[in-house]
Amino acid sequence: MLNFHLVKSQIDSMMKERRDFASEIPDKIRLANEQLRLRSRDWEGLSRKIDESKTSWLVAGISSPLDAVRPLPERPRGYTALSSDGSQIFPDRHEALPCYLINVSSIALTYGDDARAVLGSGPSLFYKDEDRFTTWGGKRVPADSEVISLRRTLMEFESILELLKRNGADRNTIALSDGTLILWRLEAAPPDFRDAVIVPFLGILEEFRNLRVPVAGYISRPGSADVINALRVSLCPDRVSLCNQCPYTELPELPCSPIEGLTDGFLFSTVLDTGEASPVFKSSSKILDTYGGHHIYFFYINIGEEIARVEIPEWVVRDEELLTLTHTLIFDQAKKGKGYPVSIAEAHEQAVVKAKDRDFFFSLVREAMVKSDFSVTVSRKGLSKRVPGV
Amino acid sequence: MSDYIGEVVESGTKGFIARSPRVGEAPPFGSFVRTDADSPVYGLVYEIVTGSREPGRKPDAYDMSMEELRREQPQIFELLKTEFHVLTLGYLDRGKIRFTLSPLPPPIHSFVLGCTDEEMEALSSEDFFLRAIITAQNVPADDLIISSLLGAQEARKNDRDFMVRMGKSLSRFLKDDYERLASILRRLL
Repeated sequence: MLNFHLVKSQIDSMMKERRDFASEIPDKIRLANEQLRLRSRDWEGLSRKIDESKTSWLVAGISSPLDAVRPLPERPRGYTALSSDGSQIFPDRHEALPCYLINVSSIALTYGDDARAVLGSGPSLFYKDEDRFTTWGGKRVPADSEVISLRRTLMEFESILELLKRNGADRNTIALSDGTLILWRLEAAPPDFRDAVIVPFLGILEEFRNLRVPVAGYISRPGSADVINALRVSLCPDRVSLCNQCPYTELPELPCSPIEGLTDGFLFSTVLDTGEASPVFKSSSKILDTYGGHHIYFFYINIGEEIARVEIPEWVVRDEELLTLTHTLIFDQAKKGKGYPVSIAEAHEQAVVKAKDRDFFFSLVREAMVKSDFSVTVSRKGLSKRVPGV
Repeated sequence: MSDYIGEVVESGTKGFIARSPRVGEAPPFGSFVRTDADSPVYGLVYEIVTGSREPGRKPDAYDMSMEELRREQPQIFELLKTEFHVLTLGYLDRGKIRFTLSPLPPPIHSFVLGCTDEEMEALSSEDFFLRAIITAQNVPADDLIISSLLGAQEARKNDRDFMVRMGKSLSRFLKDDYERLASILRRLL
């Protein structure tokens, strides 16, 4: 049971800290905006400095003026948005059988004179040894929530690819995914496991590239600060910033601190009008060293209700037509979805597995076991949770 | 089965609910329908509802014409459903229509078809359907009487005698409620 008296006092202290930070935000944003304008004049110098610097944070790679705003391109009358999302029932070792389930949706929304909608989802049950265990640093370990989530991500992209192949790629087609395309969680994973995910993932991206269909990861209210961090590098008085040898730690405030704590979303809300997009930046996430020609870039877009972050592979950035298409279609999708891309929202709705679905799933498993004359043994812990005594 | 007008999604002894294959389309209120089975169940449509397929989602306003909606928001038509509720009047028992509840409700997922003129004629040959409506709970009885009578009369090629006969039956059923009877009869003219 949750003691709400104690929770409430902790919520109050959280609010106090938020208030203190919020009062500083306008000044921070003003300063960040000034820096953005100032550094745009000599963006090449800043770009070089960033390349040479070694910071403890992710810094955006720059290849154009920082404040170069891209206006909203005209939308083609007809287009198709593809998306997929997944939801899962994690294995529960207190349940009768060790198995898990992944439900993946596939969404194809076609607009214009040929408008139609395909909405669906399909479950996959995993119970074989090769599904339940994974190789991690040469060892065989049970698939945990992280492993299952990564498998789910792969299945989502496979599902979009399958849709694309089935429907045929029209000229104006986009594949949208909820969240980042940067599988940064794999940075800490051993090479055998990392390759088992990255290699098929990049294989899927390669197929999209061959079909010339842009893939974009959409992040609503992003918490990222890559561009702010680039500006922090610009605030650093040193010619090259080397954070681990920072000579300013004795000062009451570091020269790069005044804009610390801001997100790129805050910054670009002062730069972009509705429909406009920021320049394209290069992500410096370490895992991207393994992405080759699919290195992930990103831009921010004002979709009216908020600033969103859009992540795209390098080949989309290099193809002006695909980049323009991505910009206009993402804006249209968000507008149709009243602030969030409608295809991604539908993908979520079709995929979602709710708590009561989970309970029903496990009761189906138990029932099937009884019918097959297996003895159903649930752990004492599982039983105690189901029928709490007094 | 291409010409069905609904599929039974909830089945009970007193009536059933059927899902229309196309959003926004349904047999009209008061029409006679039957299920598609060896022993079909006959009934009257008394409620038509269009809404969200999922309990947690409600249709929103888009400020667009129907044509614009179909072009720019095609997914919403996949997320809506139209269902119609049917009051059971009788069933077919070895070739004979029995004006009483079926021993078993129609199987779930059986198809629903509109009744032919001949079936409507048979179903309205006696006044049992009027009594079924009057005694049913939670149906808009008076309006259902009017709509079903007008439908039956059309199927019977505007047979005047039929209307007189049914009017007499109604006056018998509603002899204790003159106002109600008068209101129904006035609206039948």
